[in-house]
Amino acid sequence: MNRFLPRHAWDRTLAIILIALLVAFCTLIPGFYAGFGGTLAITDQFLPFGFVAIGLAVVILTGGIDLSVGAIASLSAVIMAILTKSGGLDIWLAAVLALIIGAILGWLNGIVITSLRVEPLIATLATSFIYTSVATALAGASPPYGFGKPFGVLGNGTIALVLPVQLLMFIGIAIGFSILITRTGFGRRIVMVGYNRDAAHYAGVAVPGLLRKVYAISGFMAAFAGIVLASYYDAVRPDMGNILLLTAITMVVLGGVSIFGGEGGILGVTLGVLILGVLRQGMLIAGFSDMVTTMLTGAILLVSIAAKNLLSDRGFGYGALLLRLINSRKQEATPPNT
Amino acid sequence: MGASRAADHNRTAHGERNVLAMSSPTLASGQDRAPDQAQAPRSGRLSAVEIDKSFLTNRVLKRVSLSLAPGEVHTLMGENGAGKSTLFRVLAGIHRPDAGAITLDATTLDLRNPHAAQAQGIYLVPQEPALMGELSVAENMYLGVLPTRGRLPGRVDWRSIRTRSQDSLRTLGLDIDVRDDARHLSIAQQQLVECAKALLRGCRIILFDEPTSPLTSREVGFLFGIIRRLRDEGYTLGFISHRMDEVMEISDRISVLRDGAVTDEVDRAGFDRSRLVSAMVGRTLSFDRKRTHRAASGRPVLTVRGLTHPSAFRAIDLDILPGEIVGFAGLIGAGRTEIAEAICGLRDKSAGSVVLNGQDITDASIPRIIEAGLVYVPEDRARHGAILPMSIRDNATAGQITRLQNPIGLLDRLREAEIAKQTLARFRVRARGPDQPMRELSGGNQQKIVFGKWMSTNPTVAILDEPTRGVDVGAKEDIYRLIEELSQSGMAIIVISSELEELIALCDRILAIYAGRITAELRGAEITAASVGAAFLGAGSTPA
Repeated sequence: MNRFLPRHAWDRTLAIILIALLVAFCTLIPGFYAGFGGTLAITDQFLPFGFVAIGLAVVILTGGIDLSVGAIASLSAVIMAILTKSGGLDIWLAAVLALIIGAILGWLNGIVITSLRVEPLIATLATSFIYTSVATALAGASPPYGFGKPFGVLGNGTIALVLPVQLLMFIGIAIGFSILITRTGFGRRIVMVGYNRDAAHYAGVAVPGLLRKVYAISGFMAAFAGIVLASYYDAVRPDMGNILLLTAITMVVLGGVSIFGGEGGILGVTLGVLILGVLRQGMLIAGFSDMVTTMLTGAILLVSIAAKNLLSDRGFGYGALLLRLINSRKQEATPPNT
Repeated sequence: MGASRAADHNRTAHGERNVLAMSSPTLASGQDRAPDQAQAPRSGRLSAVEIDKSFLTNRVLKRVSLSLAPGEVHTLMGENGAGKSTLFRVLAGIHRPDAGAITLDATTLDLRNPHAAQAQGIYLVPQEPALMGELSVAENMYLGVLPTRGRLPGRVDWRSIRTRSQDSLRTLGLDIDVRDDARHLSIAQQQLVECAKALLRGCRIILFDEPTSPLTSREVGFLFGIIRRLRDEGYTLGFISHRMDEVMEISDRISVLRDGAVTDEVDRAGFDRSRLVSAMVGRTLSFDRKRTHRAASGRPVLTVRGLTHPSAFRAIDLDILPGEIVGFAGLIGAGRTEIAEAICGLRDKSAGSVVLNGQDITDASIPRIIEAGLVYVPEDRARHGAILPMSIRDNATAGQITRLQNPIGLLDRLREAEIAKQTLARFRVRARGPDQPMRELSGGNQQKIVFGKWMSTNPTVAILDEPTRGVDVGAKEDIYRLIEELSQSGMAIIVISSELEELIALCDRILAIYAGRITAELRGAEITAASVGAAFLGAGSTPA
């Protein structure tokens, strides 16, 4: 009764929107279609958001939130840069260490949430302040830059001349995470905890341990995004991750993941990432200012949440209210036949 | 609107005074009586005429007609999903019918919302009492009709609220401090407060939607006392219950609903169990079946020694034998659920040991306890048992995810499908298929899946907490049959129940739990309605 949408209808809608968007931009915006490789290269501009979004989606599926992803991205990238510039480590080894550090920072979030019983929103807000200030302190007045050409491949490179490395990594990660959520016991437990934490506990799911792993995954993906950004810019800054958070949340929500947990999937998030990214880059190419595109991002967030709530009649959303109003009108219109 | 005005309004509407108010003038407004109307003739016949109601494509009520008479307890019976609650909700203004009319005596009512229904004197005591836990009992009782005093608008007359609500509860024989937060009340008390709310609002037609399912027999007795008193004073009373004994005891008239239509209506003279049951389910069931009590033998599979919790229970000793069905009898709050949860690792304990098949599981994690072969099927299905938005398959396999994983963590989808299929078949679940979301199933079918989820882990000991709560007769029979089968296959089962007849029908041995301790043990021929009834009340210990 609560389900107006058939299964996967949201994903299908998103796929249609994405195709429509690509067709419209290619025909309407001069310069958007710059050859096959040129158009694909656009993805380099926004896929770091996508990496964060996929990690964040896992957290949101459990009904939690991670506000520290931007801070973790910055801190991990700064640490990587220092390890290689001041510590003399090989850049690739430094990058692997930075990923591990990202996972540890996320795991610490999980500890705060499960052991100290702090709500995820507050816990990750607090740690985001801490991680950011540590990054600022470590980076110093002139943050390191220049990591060499081979490392730049991660953010700017292509394979077979046209396929961006970032896009290939994104596709691989999306497939991996999709399998993780839908096909593994770990993923099943995540969804169970998201829908009904108590029932999952009674069914023998070790909830605190699971949550710690989930936040570690989010930290790992944030660090990954930070490293890709460092490669893309060939530099690090302690505030480079700041822009990641809000857009990533928007992508997850647009992708159909419920902020209450449980509902949604990685396929939707992947589509959400591509739609929002293509839309923003397309608008920038068309000559709209960043202000306009940001405004549009906000509007999309509102519309997508409202549409979902309206269609699924969930909770206390205004969508449900509207639906109820429409229903009551209908009932009043029918005269009682006594 | 002030409460006094609400009451007056009602009095004028029905030409009769709140009768309870006469025994205690404070129950109603206590002021400006309308004596000229006190002798008006009895009224309050509430009728549903050809009511039709659909939710989206699901037609729940199909031209249902029903008439509730004053001075009568009229019971609706039927399986889960038959439309009983929906019909009451339509009568109480919560749902608007798609077609048909509601009449009170000769007038046709237009009930736009519950408030309008209450203004006509119709009050629904909901299945789950809707008190606001953070407000005091008194505030809850006057919610929406707070009386004011003085010239300033909105200045609430707290003192009169307190005294009047306290008096009205006392009239019902309830010892509740109205200044206390409502969340401190037991479910039984909350229900009685709801009932008092109806009286305070001057309502003469009170509908009870399955009030007894969370109550113990003593509490039910108390509630019935009040219902009888209201009936004798000419109130119009509607009642829903799944418990046959209760229905036979309290009803003056019974209507049976099946699939949204009335299939039978009988008055007291025509009460007959098998007739009612076949009207309900459309097939004949074996009733009055009593388990042949067996003396189980062998080494205990579950041994509990000295299990203690600082506040809930102390010094619990248990020895459960294979193939044995042991009942926990006791009032809600006696500690039955707490003991079960502590045994299964879901709740802390301060002392004691739990040994399962020779393995000490006192401090083991829940996944380990389940693996060791001990499961707990919780009482609260929606909160602890089922994950309603997920599919039947996901729910059926939720207890054994670890076993379904291969070494790299991937789930064995074929095995999952097989378990789901087996559960559907073995437990006779009415569903479209394994992919159907749990929330689309009726309560009884949900319970069967939850049951199946635990049973498919092949436990050696299962603790079932209120296994048939809120489940219809047909599903109940199925669940009893399953419990029998499982015990014959050697599984040891502990049944926690508030239903006397359920314990008597199922158990080889009954333990009375009172105030956190085991106070008595009944076996074989000692198990009778009287002895189990006494066990509920502490069997010898002084009841509080």
